[in-house]
This record gives sequence, C-alpha cells and structure tokens, in this order.
Amino acid sequence: MAKVKVATDWLAACAGCHMSVLDMDERLVQLLDKIELTSTPITDLKHPPKEGVTVGILTGAISNTTNIEVAKQMRERCQILIALGDCAVFGGIVTMRNFFDMNEALKRAYVETEGTVDGQIPCSEELGRPVRVCAVNNIVKVDIHIPGCPPSPDAIYYALSELLEGRIPVLTGDNLKYD
Amino acid sequence: MATVNIKINGQQIQARAGVTLLEAAKEAGIDIPTLCHHPALANIGACRVCLVEVAKQRTLQPACTFPISEGMEVETESPKAVEARKFVLEMLFSERNHYCMYCEMSGDCELQALAYRYGLDHWTYPSPHAKMTVDGTRKYFIMDHNRCILCRRCIRACSDLVANHTLGVRFRGAKTMISADMDVPFGDSTCVSCGTCLQVCPTGALVDRKSAYMGREVHVERTASACTFCAVGCGTSIVTRAGHVLRVEGDWDAPNQGVLCVAGRFEPLYDRRERITSPMLRKGNGLVPVSWDEALGAIAAKAKGNSGKKAAAYVTGKALNDTLGEFLRVFQGKMQATVGTVEPTLADLDLPVGGSLADVDAADCILVAGGDPLATHRVLGYRVKRALDKGARLLVVTDKPNGMLPFAHRKFGMAQLDEAVKVCQGSAAPVVIYGGDLDKASARKLAALAGKARFISLFPASNGYRARELGLTNGFSANGVKVLYLLLGDEELPDEAVKEARRAPFLVVHAAYKSAATDVADVVLPAPLWYEQEGSFTALDGRKVVVKPAVAAPEGVLAEAAVLARLAESL
Repeated sequence: MAKVKVATDWLAACAGCHMSVLDMDERLVQLLDKIELTSTPITDLKHPPKEGVTVGILTGAISNTTNIEVAKQMRERCQILIALGDCAVFGGIVTMRNFFDMNEALKRAYVETEGTVDGQIPCSEELGRPVRVCAVNNIVKVDIHIPGCPPSPDAIYYALSELLEGRIPVLTGDNLKYD
Repeated sequence: MATVNIKINGQQIQARAGVTLLEAAKEAGIDIPTLCHHPALANIGACRVCLVEVAKQRTLQPACTFPISEGMEVETESPKAVEARKFVLEMLFSERNHYCMYCEMSGDCELQALAYRYGLDHWTYPSPHAKMTVDGTRKYFIMDHNRCILCRRCIRACSDLVANHTLGVRFRGAKTMISADMDVPFGDSTCVSCGTCLQVCPTGALVDRKSAYMGREVHVERTASACTFCAVGCGTSIVTRAGHVLRVEGDWDAPNQGVLCVAGRFEPLYDRRERITSPMLRKGNGLVPVSWDEALGAIAAKAKGNSGKKAAAYVTGKALNDTLGEFLRVFQGKMQATVGTVEPTLADLDLPVGGSLADVDAADCILVAGGDPLATHRVLGYRVKRALDKGARLLVVTDKPNGMLPFAHRKFGMAQLDEAVKVCQGSAAPVVIYGGDLDKASARKLAALAGKARFISLFPASNGYRARELGLTNGFSANGVKVLYLLLGDEELPDEAVKEARRAPFLVVHAAYKSAATDVADVVLPAPLWYEQEGSFTALDGRKVVVKPAVAAPEGVLAEAAVLARLAESL
C-alpha cells in the first residue's frame, strides 16, 4: 500500500507544536512506515506538493496575510486539515496582540525592544501585512482540532493512528488538554 | 415528608417535594453539570450549563432553579441538552480571554473541567478580544476581568454570605462587568477583603496573590483546622505544599459557613516577624541559644524558693485548652503563683456567655454594646449584617466610633443603655453582643436581659471563653514578684506591659516571635505557630473547636503544653 502523504506547516507559532511532533520519538519512526512527510517547516521542502496530500497539519495562529496564504494553500492541497495546538485551534497566546493597536505592537516589537538600536518597522512589499489574530478555522475549514500548548505527543500520535485506521479521532481524557 | 415521583434519565426517583431538579438529581446520585451554582449560594440560573430536557416543556430548563413536580420526566444528557451545554461552553470560552496555558487556575478551573468533560476541542465563534482591565488595587487578591464568566458567585457571596453588598454588575448583555460599589477600583471600595468571593470563583478571575502559581489541588495538602485569631472559632482548611502554608480557606460545613475575614484568611500569612526557634538564656549581656534542659533547669532553679506570691505567670487567652490546663497545673497547682491572662476575659462584667452565630441568624433584635464585632470578631459582624438583611433590627450602644453604627436602626450613647434594653425587651428573640468597653454599672443594666436574650461575649482572645471558665482574669502586675513567666504564643505585649514585666528580677518569655518582651527576658522559650499547633480551644459560643497542625513546627520548637509539663517535672 502506498504511504499516506502528510504535510505540515506553521503559521504564527513558537515551534512548540512541531517539537511535540518530534517528541513522538520512536513512534514517529514507526509512523513513517505508513506515512510520507512530504514537506514541513523543518525539512528541505517547505510547501505541500501541488498534487496534494491526504493530511495537512497547521500549527500557529493566523496573524498576517502570509499566514492566510499558507493556510489557504494547505487547505487546497490537503484532504483532511488538522489544526494542531492552541494557537491554531483557538488563536492562543498570539491573540494577546489583539489587545493592542497594531502600530503600538509593531513599535514595541521592532523599535522599543530593550536590545534594539535604531530599530525600524519592516515595510517591504514582499512581507505579509499583520492582521487581527485569529484561529485557523476562522479563515479555512478545519476538519480535526487538536488543542494543547503544546498538544502532547500522545495526542498527536493517537490522532494520526486513528486517521491511518480510517477513523476520525475524538480526543478525550489526557489527550484533550488546553495547556 | 411529602414526596414527588419523577423520572431522571429513565430512573424512577422519589424526591422531596419542593426541591429543585438539581437537588433531586444530586440526592439520587445523578450528576448534572453546573457552573454558576454553588452549594453555599442561592441559585440564579445564570450560566445555563445545567440545562436539561424536561418533557412537556417548550425549551430546555436550568436544573438549578427548576422545581420538580409529580410525574416529571427529565433527560440530563440527551443530545439536545448536551448540544446546548456545549454551545453555552463555546460562548463562555469565546467571550473573553479563556486561554488556559497561562492561567493560574488551569487544572482546578470549573469552566475548563466542563469543557474537557464535553470534549470541547474548538470554538465555532471568533473571540471579540475585548481588552478588559485587571484590578490589582487590593492587597491580597486581584480581579482579572478577562477571566470572568459573569457567573455572579462573587456577588452572591458578598451579599448573601457576608452581607457586605460591595459587588454588583454594571451594564447589561455583552458589556456586563463585575463592579464594586458605584464602579470604583476594588481597593477603594467598601470591600473588607474577607476573600469569600475569591474562594467561590470558579475560574481564574479572582487570584490570590500569595498562593498564585504555587500549586494546584493535586499538588497541595489540606488540613481541616480552625482559625485562632478571634473567639468566633471559624472552621478553616489550611492549604499547604512542601511544608509551606499557601493559603487558608473557610470550611463550608463549620458554623462560619465558609466565611472568613481578612484577619484569618490573609493577614497571618503576611507575618514577617522574626521567629524564635530555640530556647535562649541570658548570659552576660546577650541571649544565647541553649538546650531545653538548660533553659528549663534555669527556670526551675529560680522557681525554688520563689513560690507563692513571689511568683506570677500570665498566659495569652489565645492558648489552647491543654496549654491552659498545664499552665494552671504548674503555676497555680505546683507553685501557688499568681496567675492570670494577658487579655481581659470580661469575667468581671458578670454577664451570660455562649450565644452563637445560629442565635444571630434567628434574632429579630440585636443589641451591640461596648464592642465592635466588625473590628474584632468580623465574621460575627458579617453575620449580624446578614440578620439585618433578613429583617432583624440593630441597636448599637457606644460612646466610641463603631463599625456597626452605619447599619444601626437606633443608636444610643452608653448613658442611654436602659432605653436600648427596653427596646430589646419588646422583641421576641433578642441577641446581646457585648465587649470590653462596657463598665460594671452598664453591665448590670444589660443583665436585665439575661434569661430573655442570648448573650455573645466579644472575648478579646480566641480562647477567652475557656480562660474565663477556668477563673482566669487579667490584671497584670509585677509587684513583689521575683519570678515572672509570660506565655505569649504569637502575641506581643504593649511597651508599658513589657516595662512592668521587666520589673521582676527574673523574666521568662515563652513566645513564637521575637519582640520587645523577648529582648529583655532572662529566658526565652520558643512556641509553635497557629498552623503548627494541635489541640482545641473553646469558641465564644462554648463550642470546642479542634486545631490541627498543617505543618510541622521547626525542629526544637515544642508544643506549649509539653514544655509546661516538662517544667512541672523539673520543679
């Protein structure tokens, strides 16, 4: 049987959710017998292949226009989209920026940080514009939500194993945590 | 007992008539999830988490307020009820900042527990992310409006349990906010920092500064004990972790009904006085740590030949019952010394004692004379205010400023005490609360109500009732005294008393903290603190209150009664 193709990407994230994916340890190696990781932010290939994947995993919140593009591309290229982690599922800690005016937040980040000298707010056309932070399901349809900050490796392994068995995972007990 | 037949989840139940669906289910062992409901508070059906499907009802009904009736059929976990419950939880979560990962309450949060129970893995609605304030204007706990779900438990605790009526809501609908008085910062409000709202808050909206992030319920231990800071004798739950007291909570099943005051809940945890951890003996100019044998030997040597009138011993009325017993056995029994208490026991007023908080609840007229329960016995004061809310009348007799005055229906000067007594005589269930500002002549006038009224004495020390029972009175004097023993516990003596005590050629101070008295003593003996003691004391209503150690005393600090017993042996 051909391997199931899985792609992951991150949006406004701290990388903790991807760390939790790696924390599946030897179970990750076992999974790789059955799945093919086509692209991830921590491998050479960053973008999900044009021909599509079965499972797409997004971590992090939507915080700028690039995040929106990445989320939409992943949605288009995958059959089942997983929002992984509190930021992707709820908006999470990134939404704290919503409590401030955008210019105020940008100034704080690029100009007023304690170690910054002559800081400037980046304004290149190539960069995404910041938007009001929200969860992934506010932008694209999400099929499976795995909350947690980060979700435990057990929860991630459980969800992927269930999918491989042809079932939609339902998180309960220790697999369902918000912190 | 009238009963009603109802069916919950297909289970036939005979329930008491007149109870709510939630109560009937609880008694039958059926769990209906709740959030704004709290066993100690009136139900208001605010949160809609307990919605259940009741046959023949057009809509889902909140179990906490819905009364049962004959033949009622209820489904508590039907798809419709569960769907509504999840919808309510989604709304609650998305309304304000309910991100658990940086919340102090995560792990013990009732909102979080419900979401886990119902498998809430995402919210459908985007959060408005309205920026709300964090009110840190109070010393002991903060209010984070971002975490508030407007369940109004705090409001009900403040008004129904403490009768302080500080909290309410301003605005309505999505703009609703918990607010104090006419919307002032909590620290500037009429809040008395009793902390009852903190204890009932189901989320991380109210956060104790001292114990925040110090451990959740699974990490801590709880010791059922009693507050020793006044004679009301409130039941407490002392929360500890790794030998440290994190916080104190009120015992819901004790007569104080979960309520504590700032002096019992918060202040003791902020005591920064220097602890005494070893017996000390004056050698040359300074006090040097010595063994218990050496310290007690020094006392015994001085006690020899100085018994009778040449010896005196005073004990704090805070001391536990077995300490008072041993104290009398050693000093009165063995040494025939003059004995007494550091604080007045109000024995000289010769008035009845023993009235309880329950008597206050049942009172229709409360006379407060010569004392201020809201200053010294606050939980009793709150209870009086609660009785007033239910229609009791308050008469305050005082010549001094008094916290009860703003709530008095009638105010009297001490000279008009007769008049107040007369008003009281016309009531059905009067309660008299009296304190140490009463003189003997006034007390005689007040005695006219004996037999009719229940009397509550505002004993200045927590075990004043027992001290009075043992015949101890205060009247501190070092005249002609060669050996003076002061058992202070965690109390301190005023400067003039220290001066008086130092007139004795040999002074022993048995205390928990370093103070002016220990500085001048010849022998200092360490005493355990309130959370290290084991024993009991007698509250102002004559009730035996059990005190349990939540943390072991430092090595070398012995129980007061054990020290006195060893002293008795060496005499």
